[in-house]
Amino acid sequence: MSDAPAIEITRLVKTFGNAVALDGVDLAVPEGSVFGFLGPNGAGKTTALRILTGLARPTAGAARILGQDVSSAGNAVRSRIGYLPDVPGFYPWMTAMELVEFAGRLFAIAPATLRERAESLLEMAGLSDVRSKVGGFSRGMKQRLGIAQALINAPSVLLLDEPTSALDPIGRREVLEMIASLRGRTTVFFSTHILADVERVCDRVAILDRGRVVANAPIAELKQRAAVDRLVIDVDGDPATLISELELRPWLRSVDRKGESMTLAVSDLKSAQRELPAAIAAAGLGLKRLEAAEVSLEDMFVELVHRAEQ
Amino acid sequence: MSGFSTFLGKEFTEIRKTWRIWVIPGMLVFFAITSPIIAQVTPALLGSMAKSQPGMVVKIPSPTWRDAYAQYLKSLSQMVLIAVVIAGAGAVSGERSSGTAILTLTKPLSRAGFVMAKIVSQAGLLVAATIVSSAVCLGVTVGLFGAAPLEPLLVAVSIWTIDALLLTIVMTLFSAGFASRGASAGAGLGFWFLTLLISIWPPANRYSFVGLISASGRALGSQPVDALWPVATALIAGAACALAAIRVFETREL
Repeated sequence: MSDAPAIEITRLVKTFGNAVALDGVDLAVPEGSVFGFLGPNGAGKTTALRILTGLARPTAGAARILGQDVSSAGNAVRSRIGYLPDVPGFYPWMTAMELVEFAGRLFAIAPATLRERAESLLEMAGLSDVRSKVGGFSRGMKQRLGIAQALINAPSVLLLDEPTSALDPIGRREVLEMIASLRGRTTVFFSTHILADVERVCDRVAILDRGRVVANAPIAELKQRAAVDRLVIDVDGDPATLISELELRPWLRSVDRKGESMTLAVSDLKSAQRELPAAIAAAGLGLKRLEAAEVSLEDMFVELVHRAEQ
Repeated sequence: MSGFSTFLGKEFTEIRKTWRIWVIPGMLVFFAITSPIIAQVTPALLGSMAKSQPGMVVKIPSPTWRDAYAQYLKSLSQMVLIAVVIAGAGAVSGERSSGTAILTLTKPLSRAGFVMAKIVSQAGLLVAATIVSSAVCLGVTVGLFGAAPLEPLLVAVSIWTIDALLLTIVMTLFSAGFASRGASAGAGLGFWFLTLLISIWPPANRYSFVGLISASGRALGSQPVDALWPVATALIAGAACALAAIRVFETREL
């Protein structure tokens, strides 16, 4: 495995008329990693994936997969990637086996290998016993078939656009386990707005908002970074006076109050830890708890997107 | 044109397994059977109508194989060409709107291969169906009229086929250029009517592909027909439209 990133996006811009879908995106996805591409609806995730697959062209900047520019490499890149779009389209008159084998023949896979691989992938997708035409499949079945066809060429890079959005909890768990099992062998780049999925399988995450990357780091680091910004305080009385007083402090960004408990988002942790006990005492309250908050990925996501909007 | 043969195989399987096998081939065979019958019964029908009108005398010559072939060509030049326009309208745009173009074009299949497979499969279907239906027309005509020469039918239908193939390629171009099936069908019908209109002007009829339809009709006459210019310009226009379809589709974002 080389040190060069499997996917490298440099100052990528995509505009549709006056609308800016991607606004100077920079991203590097390490080879063999499972990379989560998070963002609210309309953030530009699908646009980025369409550029990576060669379905759309960038307005400016560049995108490279395995060292090759996606705009000019053509089949050299396409032969090494697997792609599942957010709403996969299939030929309704084909069966699942016919579709996966058709996909494999486009990669010129030898017939014996293709049959074996198709059977194994349909088994994994839970579709090996389904003989009906794809036109009669549920959305979940189509999503699982989409994943199977995306893996038919044993891709070096797997690009998945919202792969779990149409799946039931069991199907979702199976797909996530399958994605996790590819770690180290295949670079998986998947866009989603389901934070729990990212938390479960990703090594690293980038958060996209309004066409800009607002965070890009390993999940543990992002959580740590967000956690030191938050303090949980429990006091033994009504904290209204204390909150009014704290709102005058320059290091306080926001207060989330639940009864006698408060979660403070702070910009200067040391100043906050030094000044808080005195402020609580001055408000006539007793301090029951003061500690750094456990931050979920959801908190971090909301915080980062909120910060970007400001 | 990587992936071309695989995608072409898919196209032929799709023709075999879906409605596409019935539309144009079905129409062609239907007209092949009914045209000689219509040619034979038309004088008798007109005669019976004349008898119901006192004082009216209608003299109609006995129908021949020429009338059967002319009726068949008339149906090809009108109904079948409209069917070619409607069926070809969704060739590329249908795959774009259903998302299947994304499925195939993110694999090692070039856009040129995609477009060419569409053209070749539609052309293959049209040519095969025309051969079968023309053989049926010949058989029914011989059965009804006793004898019918092959050559006039062969020449006339060959010239018509070139016109239909050109229209197929033009429809692929429109289908690659327009996002919706309706828009490309509209453009195709507009193109067809325009060629009919231009063909009224004698120089255009003689020296360009718009003269193919009248040339195919003349092929049924007793004089040899000169269709060199219409055929040559149709081949050039077809090649140009195929290249344009590829270029247009390559510039489209999916």
